Amino acid sequence: MKLRPVNITASILLLVFSVIPLVAGVGYALLYSLGLTGALQNEFTWLNWQKVFNDGQTVISFLYSAALSLAAVIISVGLALWVTIKQRGLFTKGIFSYVIYLPLAFPAMVAAFFFFQFLSKAGILSRLFYNLNLTDSVGGFPDLINDRFGIGIIVTQVFLSCPFFILLLTNMYKTEKVDDYLLLAKSLGANARQATFRLAVPMLLHKGFPTIVLYFIFMFGAYEIPVLLGRSSPEMVSVLAVRKLQKFNLYDIPQGYAIAVLYTFFVLTLIALLFRNRKIAYDV
Amino acid sequence: MFRKQILFKLMVLVACAVPVLLLFILSFTANWRFPDLFPKSLTTSNWTDLLTGNSNTQSLLLSLAIAISIAILATMAGFVTSQWIAYHPNKKQLLLLTYLPFVVSPVILAVCLKFYFIKMNLAGTVAGVVLAQLIIAFPYSTIFFTGFWNRRIQQYQSLVSTLGGSSAFAFRKVILPMAKPMLLVCFFQTFLISWFEYGLTSVIGYGKVQTLTIKVYQFVTEANIFYAALSCCLLILPPVIFLWLNKKFIFRQGEGSE
Repeated sequence: MKLRPVNITASILLLVFSVIPLVAGVGYALLYSLGLTGALQNEFTWLNWQKVFNDGQTVISFLYSAALSLAAVIISVGLALWVTIKQRGLFTKGIFSYVIYLPLAFPAMVAAFFFFQFLSKAGILSRLFYNLNLTDSVGGFPDLINDRFGIGIIVTQVFLSCPFFILLLTNMYKTEKVDDYLLLAKSLGANARQATFRLAVPMLLHKGFPTIVLYFIFMFGAYEIPVLLGRSSPEMVSVLAVRKLQKFNLYDIPQGYAIAVLYTFFVLTLIALLFRNRKIAYDV
Repeated sequence: MFRKQILFKLMVLVACAVPVLLLFILSFTANWRFPDLFPKSLTTSNWTDLLTGNSNTQSLLLSLAIAISIAILATMAGFVTSQWIAYHPNKKQLLLLTYLPFVVSPVILAVCLKFYFIKMNLAGTVAGVVLAQLIIAFPYSTIFFTGFWNRRIQQYQSLVSTLGGSSAFAFRKVILPMAKPMLLVCFFQTFLISWFEYGLTSVIGYGKVQTLTIKVYQFVTEANIFYAALSCCLLILPPVIFLWLNKKFIFRQGEGSE
C-alpha cells in the first residue's frame, strides 16, 4: 500500500474517530473503576468490581436487557419472515411500498413518546377499551408501560425494527433467488411446509444472521426507549450505567464505569465472534 | 383468502400510519383528557407559538445545522477512509476496528468520553456535540462505502491511468459520478443518525445544546405532552421527506442502472 497523502488522511481519520475514542473512553472507565483516576482516586482496588458482581443488580440488568432484546428480535424477525414468505408482493409497489418506510422515520425518542401516549393507563388504547365498555376506569387497564415484563419496550422495539427486517429479508429473498430453490425443492417432492421451513426460512436466517446479531446488540444498548418506558428496577444496562454515573453519590460513579466496561467487553466479544467466521458488511 | 389480505393491509396501515396521525393530532390540541377518544377541539396555538419565536424554532435550526454538518463531514471522511480500508491487505481487521465505536451504545460511549470533552472545553458546546456525533456517524459512513470500492471501480481507475489520466482526474471524472447515488444515500443516512441522536447529545451537550430530541425528553418530563408532540412532528418530518426522496429517486435510479 502506497504512502499517499490520501491514505495518511484516511488512517488518521480512522484513528481519531474510531480507535482513539474507544480506547481512551474504555481505558478511562477501567482506570476509574479500579480507583486509579477520578475524584475518588486513592489506590488500586477491586472493591468496585466486587460490589458490581455481588449486588445482583448488574447481573439482573444484563439478563433483563438480553431477554428484552432477544424477545424483540425474535418477534420482529418472525413477523418479517412471515411477511417475506407470504406477503412480500405487497411492499414492492403502490402505497404500501411507501407506508412500510414510515416507522423508519421515527427516532427512538419519538417512538417511545408515541407508545407512552398509546399504551399508558390513560392512553389511546385504554380510552378505546373504556369506550367499548371493556374497562370501567383508568385502573382497569393493564400496565403496558413501565411494567415488569418490559412490554412497552418490546412493542416499541418491534415497531422500529420490524419494517427494517421486512425490507432486508424481502430484498434477500430476491437476491438469493429463494423462489427458484423453492421450485426445485417442490419438483423434488417437498411439500409447501417443508419447502418453507427447511429451505426458505434457514436460507434467509443464515444470510441475515450478522444483521440480526447487530440489531440485537443495538437493542441491548438502547437508552431512549427504556428510559421513558422502563421501570427503575430492573433496568436495562445503559440506563443503569448512566444512572450510577450521573447520581450525586460519588461512590456510585466507579461502579457505573465498571458496568460500562463490562457492557463494552460484552459487545466487543460478540462482534469479534461475529467477525471471526463471517464476512460481514453493514446492510443498507 | 381475500378477506385475510384486506385485514393484513388494514393492520399494516394502522400500525404504520396511526403513530404519525396521533402525533399530529396531539400537536394541534391543548386539552385531551381520559376518557375522550378524540380531542374536544383543535387549536393551532402550539404551531403559532413555534412560528412566532418559541425556543422550539431555535432547537429546530440547531438540530438542522448539526445534522447537516455531520452529514457532510461523515460522508466525506467515510468515503476517503473506506477506499483506504477496501484496498488494504488487512481489510478485515480495519473493518472490525471501524465497527467498534459504531456498535457500542452511544450514551455509554459518551459517559466514558465525557472527561476528555470537559478537559478540551468541548462539553456543553455545539462543536463538542458535532465531534461526539462524528464518532458514531463516521464509522457508519466508512462501513457503508466499503462495498463501493469493488474490482469494477479498481478496473476503471486502472483504465484512466493507462489512458494517461491522473488519479485526481479519475477521482473527479469517474469515481465521483459513479458514487453520486451512494454519496446521496449516505448523506441522508448520516443526517438521520445525527437527527435521531439523543443519548450522546444529552451527555456531551450537558443539556446546554438543546436539539429537538433533547426538547422532546424535556417536554415529556415536564408533562407538556402537546409541545412534546409538536417537537416529535418536527423530528419525523425531515426523515419522512428524505425516505420518500430516497425511495422515489435514488432507489429508482439504482434500479434503472442495473
